[in-house]
Amino acid sequence: MDVYLPIAEIPMNLFLLLAMGGAVGFISGLFGVGGGFLLTPLLIFSGIPAAVAVATVSSQIVASSASGAAAYIRRQAIDFKLAGFLTFSGLFGSAAGVWLFSILRQLGQLDLMLALAYVVFLGTVGALMLQEAVRSMIAIRRGKREAPRRPGQHNWVHGLPLKVRFRRSRLYISALPIVALGAAIGFLGAILGIGGGFLMVPALIYLLRVPTAMVVGTTLMQTIGTMAFATIMHAGTNYSVDAVLGLALMVGGVIGAQFGARVGQRLRGETLRALLGLLVLSVGVRFAVNLIVTPSEPYSLTTFGGAGL
Amino acid sequence: MTARRLVPVLLGLLLAVVALPRTAPAEQLVTAISTDLVSISSNFNGSQIVFFGSIERDSQSVSRPAQYEIAVAVFGPPTNVVARRKVRTFGLWINREAEAFEEVPSFYALLTTSPLGDIVGEPIRQRRGLGFRAIVDESQADDRIRPPRFEAAFLRLMQAQGRYSEVPGAVEFLSPTLFRANLVLPPNVPLGTFDVRVFLFRDGVQLSQASEQLTIAKVGFEQAMTTFSREHGLLYGLATVLMATLTGWLASVIFRRD
Repeated sequence: MDVYLPIAEIPMNLFLLLAMGGAVGFISGLFGVGGGFLLTPLLIFSGIPAAVAVATVSSQIVASSASGAAAYIRRQAIDFKLAGFLTFSGLFGSAAGVWLFSILRQLGQLDLMLALAYVVFLGTVGALMLQEAVRSMIAIRRGKREAPRRPGQHNWVHGLPLKVRFRRSRLYISALPIVALGAAIGFLGAILGIGGGFLMVPALIYLLRVPTAMVVGTTLMQTIGTMAFATIMHAGTNYSVDAVLGLALMVGGVIGAQFGARVGQRLRGETLRALLGLLVLSVGVRFAVNLIVTPSEPYSLTTFGGAGL
Repeated sequence: MTARRLVPVLLGLLLAVVALPRTAPAEQLVTAISTDLVSISSNFNGSQIVFFGSIERDSQSVSRPAQYEIAVAVFGPPTNVVARRKVRTFGLWINREAEAFEEVPSFYALLTTSPLGDIVGEPIRQRRGLGFRAIVDESQADDRIRPPRFEAAFLRLMQAQGRYSEVPGAVEFLSPTLFRANLVLPPNVPLGTFDVRVFLFRDGVQLSQASEQLTIAKVGFEQAMTTFSREHGLLYGLATVLMATLTGWLASVIFRRD
């Protein structure tokens, strides 16, 4: 059954959209990430204009993060103060991202920047995740236990000024790395159409030493804030949010996420992290291949003014 | 008035009579379109339009043995297109060269009875916008010569998207003077007002011309949503975010496990 997408201005099969949303939702439920890094390229490959894909996925991420966050709110596993700091700084990053997005689109280098950014970020993060997970899998096989986190463990981040206390996370750290992290992820999210959860979670754990119990809920809360802002900005400046496309992806996504979460509970943490690392890495590699291999069609068309293509 | 002065006047009159166009052409085109409004609603997946036409001959015109040829040119609303070419740079394929195609039709279909080359010569094709060549030449902004490979790529990509087509044989004669043409509109058809020009040729000479208009527009919910998203972008974004939050919250209630 085809449904006409009023903003993308092409018809798409409704069941295909629900299935794509569902599959990505399953993965996002399984690993506890937004899944934007998979959904955005999927939509672009299936013929949705890149601008519409990036903008619409940000609204879908709001839905999937909200469904996840509801459970963490009930469990009181969210540090609202930390989430607030991250979101507020994320708004500035997000606004800068939306601005750069429309400039790159005019220059005709949006596709290149998207591909390069995907290669660099997904490649690096995927490789790091995989390495860390494999290392701890080997350690467990050898019978060593993972070293538990000790409160008061410090790294260079804890030496910075402007300290703020976060009670829920039992942290007393500088606001500077928090603001920088929030802004950077808001920026990437607006440009790449990703929530940035897969970057935020490791950064909170390894860089800021936020307790693991608080990390996921806080990240989800921050994702809702920045992605909601990115959606509104894209709708206001690029007119590229397709609510019909968004709704189809949301419905598929939140249902898929439930099943993903159920399967995820049966898998070991290291296995999950290794699989996620592999997935992230392979999306990065896929983009790298596109950049390096001789394209079958080196030409492309875009419009400026008048009716869109 | 002397006879000497009369001669040039008479000569001039004679010339004027000879050069004067005939008051009515021998053949006239009467055309009709199956629908002049294609409305796009949620189940739109392309459409088909039929043009009908009849060749009206006045009683004096001698019926000549040569065959009538029909060309129907459909022009979508004009747009500006940039064609870019990727070049390998430090091992990466990057958009490096660009050429503009200004005021090109966003949709172009040429329906004819026979291949265009058999119907009419180059000068008329250029003047009437018949054929890809004429469209591409028309879009040249300055006198600079555009690399032919960009023009070829532009036409190739537009055809691949189903936006440009030349369909010889799409016009068929139902009787010696009655013809029909089928136009296929792809699902990604651009929106707006389309110009349809119908030409009648014989022996490479244009005998008559007629034109029609065709409008392609979103209706109902699709129209309302597009208008709203354009005029109240921020509010539209806010509504989308609310919808997303509600969907997410609803899912967490329905699938609640704890």
